Amino acid sequence: MMVFILSFALVTAQENEVTKEYTLWIGGHYTDFTDFSKKVGEYDLGDEDALPELKGSYRFRSGEYLLNIDGHYYDKNNISGRYSQRWADRIKGDIYYRSLVRQEEQDLLGNLSARELIGENPGGKILTHELLDEGADYNTHRREFGGNAEVLISRKNNVRMMAAHRSILKTGDEQKIANSHCFSCHVTSKSAEVDKRTDEFEVGLQADVNDFTFAYKFGYRYFQSRANNASAYYDAAVHPVNGGSGAEFGSRQVFNDTTVVFGTYPETRKFSHKVRAKGKLGKGSFSGSLGYSTTENLNTDVASTAWSGAALYAIPLNSKTRAIARVAGVRYKTDDPFIDLPTFRDGRPGPTYSFDFTRYSSLDRNDFKGSLEIISRLNRTTTVSGLLGYNMIDRHDYPVPDGDDQTTGKLFAQARVKYRKGLKFSARAKYRMEMISDPFTSGRGLFEASGRDAGVGPIPEPFSFIFYWQREALRYQDITIYPTDVHDFDFGLTYRPDNKMSVNFGLKAKFDKNGDLDSLDVEHSMYQPNLALTLTPDPKWSMSAGYTFGHYKSRGPVAVALFDG
Amino acid sequence: MKKPMQNPAGHAAVLRIMLFMSMILLLGLASSANQPPSNAVLVGNETCADCHSEVSESFHKTMHGLAYGADRSDWSMTCESCHGPGSAHVEEADPELIINPAKTDQFGDAQTCVNCHKSESLDGWEFSHHNSADVNCSGCHSIHTEKEQIVKKATPELCYDCHSEVRAASFMPSHHPIAEGKIDCQDCHNPHGGSLSLTSEDTGRELCFSCHAEKEGPFVYEHAPVNEDCMGCHTPHGSVADNLLIQAEPGLCLNCHAMHFHATVEGVEGEFTPPLAPDRTSISTSDAWKRGMLTKCTQCHTEIHGTDMPSQSISTGGTALTR
Repeated sequence: MMVFILSFALVTAQENEVTKEYTLWIGGHYTDFTDFSKKVGEYDLGDEDALPELKGSYRFRSGEYLLNIDGHYYDKNNISGRYSQRWADRIKGDIYYRSLVRQEEQDLLGNLSARELIGENPGGKILTHELLDEGADYNTHRREFGGNAEVLISRKNNVRMMAAHRSILKTGDEQKIANSHCFSCHVTSKSAEVDKRTDEFEVGLQADVNDFTFAYKFGYRYFQSRANNASAYYDAAVHPVNGGSGAEFGSRQVFNDTTVVFGTYPETRKFSHKVRAKGKLGKGSFSGSLGYSTTENLNTDVASTAWSGAALYAIPLNSKTRAIARVAGVRYKTDDPFIDLPTFRDGRPGPTYSFDFTRYSSLDRNDFKGSLEIISRLNRTTTVSGLLGYNMIDRHDYPVPDGDDQTTGKLFAQARVKYRKGLKFSARAKYRMEMISDPFTSGRGLFEASGRDAGVGPIPEPFSFIFYWQREALRYQDITIYPTDVHDFDFGLTYRPDNKMSVNFGLKAKFDKNGDLDSLDVEHSMYQPNLALTLTPDPKWSMSAGYTFGHYKSRGPVAVALFDG
Repeated sequence: MKKPMQNPAGHAAVLRIMLFMSMILLLGLASSANQPPSNAVLVGNETCADCHSEVSESFHKTMHGLAYGADRSDWSMTCESCHGPGSAHVEEADPELIINPAKTDQFGDAQTCVNCHKSESLDGWEFSHHNSADVNCSGCHSIHTEKEQIVKKATPELCYDCHSEVRAASFMPSHHPIAEGKIDCQDCHNPHGGSLSLTSEDTGRELCFSCHAEKEGPFVYEHAPVNEDCMGCHTPHGSVADNLLIQAEPGLCLNCHAMHFHATVEGVEGEFTPPLAPDRTSISTSDAWKRGMLTKCTQCHTEIHGTDMPSQSISTGGTALTR
C-alpha cells in the first residue's frame, strides 16, 4: 500500500504549480562525561569528543500534493527521519525511523557482602557477590520504524481504509543478576545479550452512515526475545558452615546444584478487535466503542482476555450549558495455571508437604467507571463546571485472604472555573477530590499483625514445629499505601500582552491520606508552583524560560524485622 | 487491617460538589442564549478579500486550501464555512458579529472544526477534558498557516505552555527521552480526546505495554501491582529515583512488603571466607546485613514485573520473582 501511495502521488504532482523548500543545518556537538557517571548521559552517550551533526528538511508542494521529508543525524546510534506525503484528503501516509541508545544500569553489587556474628564467632549466614563480567559496558540500542497510511475509498459515505505498522527493536547488552541461596546467599552478575523485537500491525475501515461514523480496527502485536537465554549455576544446598545436611536442604528447593536459565522473556502475541461508533443522537453527540483482545504467552500457553466498552454522550442543555455522561468498563480474565512443585522434604525422614497450587491471576477483574459533568458558560468571560463520578474495581482473584473486601470503590468529584478576558488574560482553578473504599492492598505484605495468636494459622500438618515462613504467614497482615481521601488543587494564570509574549504562573497541590488503617496513617503531599515566560519576537523564533519548584512529602509505614529467623 | 470507612469530611465535600453542580445546572438553565445575528447572510469570499487580502491571497497554500481545492469548486471551502455568515460583520464592521475561532469556546461554534474533521483521534473531542477546560482548537493550531502541521509550535513545547510541570519532570535524572527528542507527547497522549485521561489507550496498562510489551506477560508468577496500575510504582515523565520510580528502593518496596529479617542480623567485622567457597573472600561489617538487605530489593528480585521461572524455595511456591 505504501508503494502505491508514493508512486500515485508523485505522478499527480507533475501538472501543478510547484513550490520547494529546503533547510539544512550543519553543526556539531561535544560531549564529555569526565567526572560524571555514565548515567548522567543516559540518552546522550556519544563519544567523549566533538562530533558532526546534521539536520535537514525538504518540502515539496504541487497543487493538492504535499511532500515532507525531515531528518536528523546526531551520531550513528541516534538518527531520526520522517517521510510523509498527502494528496488532498484522498491519500496520506508516512514512514518514519528513530533510534536512540540508552545507558543501562550497572550495579556493582558492592553492598552484598556480609557474614553473621553469633556471640563473638562467625556464624552461618553469609552473603557474597561476584561480577563475572566486570567492566562490561551495558547499553541498548532502540530502533523504531513504522508507517501509517489512509486511503479514501469512496467519497460517498466517506469510506476510508487505514493501515499502520510499527516495529521496535532493542539490541545490546544488559546486566543480568542471579541469586543463589542454597548454602549461602551468593549473587552473581553477568553480561547478557539483548535482542528484543516487537511488531505491531493495524488495519481499519471507517464509513459514514447517515449521521453516524462507524469504524472497525484489527490489531496484532508480536513480541519475541531472540537473544540466547542467560543461565547461571545455583549452588548445591548444604549447611553453609559445616557443609552437611545437603539432602535436607536440597529437599526444600525447586532446584540446586545445577545450571538453569533465568531472566527470560516469554514470546507473546496479542490480537485485538475494536468497533466504534460516533454521531448525533437526539440533540446530543454519542461516541461508543466495544473492544476485545487476547494476549497469549506462547511459552506457557497462559492467555489473558479483555472485553472493554465505553459510551460517551454530550448534550447541550441550552446554548450555554451542556452535560457529558461517560461510562466505561473493562473485564479481564486470565488462565489459571496449576503450579506443580517438588514435594517439600521429599525423600526425607519425617513429614512432607505439598506446596502445589493453582495460580489465580490478580488481573482478573471487572472495572467500571461512570461520570456526569455539567459545564456552563455563565457569561462571555467565565465558564464553570462540575463533575461527579464513580469507579468500581471488582477483583475476582485478589491476593488478599478470603473475607476481606475485594471491591474498591472510588467516588470522585471535581469543580472547575475558567476566566478568560479576550486573548490577553486567562485564569483557571480546579479542585478534585476522591473518596476511596478498600483501595488496592498488598495481601499479607507488611507488618506483624498486632495481637495475632501464633497458635493458630496456616501451619501445615503434620509438622509439629514452626518454620520461619510459617511464622511470616501467621504474623503478617495486609497493608496498603493507597489513599482513601485525595484532594487535588490546580490554579493557573496566563497573561499574554501581545502575540510576542506570554507569562504563565501555576500552582498545583495535592494531598492524600489513608486514615482507615489500624496502624500509622498514610499521607502524601505535593506542592508545585511554577512560573514560565515565553517570548516569540518573530514566528521563527521562540524562547522559553521557566522555573518549577516541587515539594513532595510521603509518610507511610515501613516494616521492621522483629526477629532474626 | 482496615476499619470501616468513616469519613464525614469527605461526605460533606461530595455534598458540596453536588450542590455546586446543581447550582451550575440552574445558572446554565437560567442563562439566555447569545445568538448570532439571525438575519446575517453569506457574502462570499470576494467580499472578505476586500479587507482581509493577506489571508485570502495565501489561502490556497494552506492545508485547508489544499484539502478543498479547485477541482471540487462546487463544494469548495469558503471563508464563511468556518466564520459563519458575514453580512452583519461587513455592514457594522464589528468583529463581534462574526465567528472568530481564536475566541470560540466549547459551546456552539467550537463545532466548526469537528464538523469536518472526523477521525478516530478526533472522535473524543466533544467529550474530552481539554474541551471541557475551554481549550479551543486555535489555542494550539494556526488555521491560516501554510505549514502541513498547523500547530502553533512543535511539541513538546506547545504542551509545555500549559503543562510546565511536565517540562520540569522531563529534566529529572530519570526520564523518558522527551527532552532528547526521542519521544513525543503524542506518543502517549491524544490531545483531542482519547480516554478520560487523554491517553491514547483505554487503560494505563495498555498504553505502557504498547512499547514495553515484554512486561505485559501474562506470566505464571505475577506481581500484583503490575496488573493493578503501572503508576503505583512509576511516574511517566520524570523522577529522581532510577527507572522512573516514584520513590527509590528499598523505600518503595517496603511500603508494601516486610523487610527481610536478615537485616537485623549483626555482622562480623573484617574479611571473611565462606567455608565452602574459599574463592569468595569478602569483607563484612557489623551493619553489613542492613546494607545488603536494605539497599536495593531488585538486586535479587530481578523479575519484578513477572516471570515464568520459579524461584528456588519450595516453601514460597516459587513466587519470589528472583529468576
